[in-house]
Amino acid sequence: MNPISAVKSHWRVLMLVVFVSFAVVALFIPGGIVADDSYAASTVDSGPTNLEFGLGLEGGTRIRVPVDGLTAENVASSNDVDQARLDEIESTIQSELDLEAADTSVGVQDDGTVTAEVFSGNVTEDEFAAALEAADVDTSGTTIREGVTQNTRDDMIQTIQTKINAAGLSGGTAYEQTTPDGNHYIVVEVPNMGAEELRQLLSERGVVEVVAYYPTADGNQTNETVLTGEEDIAKVDPPEQQGGSYVVPVQVRDSAADTFQQRMNDLNFTTDGVGMCSLDSEGGTVDFDHEGEQYCLLTVVDDEPIAAHSMGDDTRPGQTGLATSMRNEEWANDPSFWMGAQNQQDAQSLSINLRAGSLRAPLDFENDQIYSIEAAHADDFKQYSLLIGLLSVVTVSGVVYGRYTDARVALPMIVTAIAEVVILLGFAAVIRMPLDLSHVAGFIAVVGTGVDDLVIIADEVMAEGDVNSRRVFQSRFRKAFWVVGAAAATTIVAMAPLASPWLSLGDLQGFAIFTILGVLVGVLVTRPAYGDILRALLTDR
Amino acid sequence: MAYFDVPEIEYNRYSNRQLVAVPLAVLAVALLVLSGSFLVYGTPVPLGMDFAGGTELTVQTTTPADEIPSAFDEEPGVTATSSENQYILQFTSTDSEALREQATDGNTGLEQDGDTEIVQAVSSTSASFGQQSQQPALLAIAVAFVGMSAIAFLLFRTFVPSIAIVISAFSDLVIPLAFMRVTGIPLSLGTVAGLLMLIGYSVDSDILLNNHVLRRSGDFYESTYRAMRTGVTMTVTSMVAMLVMGIAAFLFGIDLLASIGTILFVGLAADLMNTYMLNLSLLRWYKFEGVRS
Repeated sequence: MNPISAVKSHWRVLMLVVFVSFAVVALFIPGGIVADDSYAASTVDSGPTNLEFGLGLEGGTRIRVPVDGLTAENVASSNDVDQARLDEIESTIQSELDLEAADTSVGVQDDGTVTAEVFSGNVTEDEFAAALEAADVDTSGTTIREGVTQNTRDDMIQTIQTKINAAGLSGGTAYEQTTPDGNHYIVVEVPNMGAEELRQLLSERGVVEVVAYYPTADGNQTNETVLTGEEDIAKVDPPEQQGGSYVVPVQVRDSAADTFQQRMNDLNFTTDGVGMCSLDSEGGTVDFDHEGEQYCLLTVVDDEPIAAHSMGDDTRPGQTGLATSMRNEEWANDPSFWMGAQNQQDAQSLSINLRAGSLRAPLDFENDQIYSIEAAHADDFKQYSLLIGLLSVVTVSGVVYGRYTDARVALPMIVTAIAEVVILLGFAAVIRMPLDLSHVAGFIAVVGTGVDDLVIIADEVMAEGDVNSRRVFQSRFRKAFWVVGAAAATTIVAMAPLASPWLSLGDLQGFAIFTILGVLVGVLVTRPAYGDILRALLTDR
Repeated sequence: MAYFDVPEIEYNRYSNRQLVAVPLAVLAVALLVLSGSFLVYGTPVPLGMDFAGGTELTVQTTTPADEIPSAFDEEPGVTATSSENQYILQFTSTDSEALREQATDGNTGLEQDGDTEIVQAVSSTSASFGQQSQQPALLAIAVAFVGMSAIAFLLFRTFVPSIAIVISAFSDLVIPLAFMRVTGIPLSLGTVAGLLMLIGYSVDSDILLNNHVLRRSGDFYESTYRAMRTGVTMTVTSMVAMLVMGIAAFLFGIDLLASIGTILFVGLAADLMNTYMLNLSLLRWYKFEGVRS
């Protein structure tokens, strides 16, 4: 037989061999055939294969959580109102509900309507409606609902992503998930991090302020917010150690620098106040029990003062103190200074909060879903899964052999089923799909359906005596394939709803996608090849 | 060497009515169990943590199993896994943070086993979140079932053989659900996956049977026997694989795989009965009497 006709008559088997070789290369050759790093760049691969593993098999934490807040839709139309009116509505809501500036938002949405949002769990819908009416809003067309707007969610997801990255946790992702009945969740996945830590990171909204704490004319002390993290700070450097405490070097925006400098001079921080701060801030909280006048700049995170510092004058040779340059009105030309923190952890989270910005709204941890697993335990699962997978293959092989007692039929069947799994694994390695327990279930399902179909093919081909001609074989194989195709179609249809992004049931999506992929690989590649192998073994040529 | 062959059943000894009676009776009992449960408990099957909310902790501790509950405010369900000193604890509380603190409390908490972490894994679902998963799960099963039925009709384009497939698939779903109620297996994401897989898996043997009887020449009983040889081999192979997977996963404490294995095993067993008694007798009636009418 010449090479061309050999290829022609065995092309199905050749295709299987090609697929399996690709899969093996993708699986075992380091850096084999790999998609770009963007998908799961984090997971440092230490295992013998190129497979990526998901949280359940690698360790880490996933939190699904809704956003806490109320939204009043259709408060006005953008054609009828200007920015001044929007600000007026917002400040009325703030004063009516006794909220801080960060807890409300009034803005124009993409469709031209105006929406008002309140980000605080303590406000009821009635109170919100009353506050809107107090702001002279025509509430006839307004609907108030739980949750926040898409813009707010998008903004929060971005902030969370920055927060995770800034915390030095590579491989973490934040994304949105919507249930069919219209509930929105923010999903945060971070490998190698405990539930406690991640919750801590997310439950801090991270609103950073610099507050001036100074004596008034009547001898009392008072507070005044002089800088707000997000609006006034342009650039943040990583934390540095300065003597006993930690600082975060920041640069103030030019727009805010002059006002800040002026204010500091007006409040006498740069004259009487130099070095005049003795508040004790051991242990991360500031103790306001003091005697005498105090001029302190407080670092405040989420309304919680974490450190207090005075302004320094020229204390070190060659360096101009902050107070000096402010007094000389030179500071605003190069407006940078240090924000204080007590310990390294505080400084780290301060720096993260300043860089990532604050979360627009708090997350509602009352209604969340948490999955967290220790790396060691996840590793056990990895080995158990492998073992369960092997056990299933061995069992199936045993039953198949017991049924046919003919190695010519049973052996290729087992080899083909294994080839199917290898191809799928290779595919997973190529697209760097992080494997989880649900995928393992999918694999076992694939072995199951795969062998079922091979049984159909074998029985059909061998029915009614020996197969002695190619034509008989072809016609029988085609008949068998009708059933195989029909069975594959039903499996795909049954799994399709789960695989679709509209009906996300979390863990099950991976299972469904893998089962469908496995069925497709089976019908298009491995099962036709099995037919060819069987033909070669059964027809005498 | 283990060897088995599919026995030939003498179907002509039984009337259609006799053959149909058994699977229909089982189906009726299953439906009765589910509706009774619905009336008494409010749900046809017990809802697991994924749908009702709750917390599951996997702990590694040297505290004996019967003393574990005293560490917590709420009495947990304790299941030992095959690993030494490892237990799965189930709570209805959704405050996973508080439970973790109770478990790791230096005085009243659990004893640390060497230097491994006490809490190995936490999984917690709030009640509202769980409730919101119910609808998509139901929808997924419904869409899958309708899709499968549409394919059945598309493949055979005649009413009786197609509806026979749909009825047996329906029974294949209902029987494992009733089994869950009776044995107290809660509905979880894993069991939903099992049920969906069952929709795909169980109709294979029905399609095979219909195909052999309707689309091939030859005597009805001969076609049936050939379809059975293949179909029973398929189903039994799958059943054994699922049984092994289910038992192994249960021993290792991997819930997801254990529930998929159990549901599929029971469902496929039901499928054997439904295909070769219910579907078969409907087909025989269609072949010998239905065609002319």
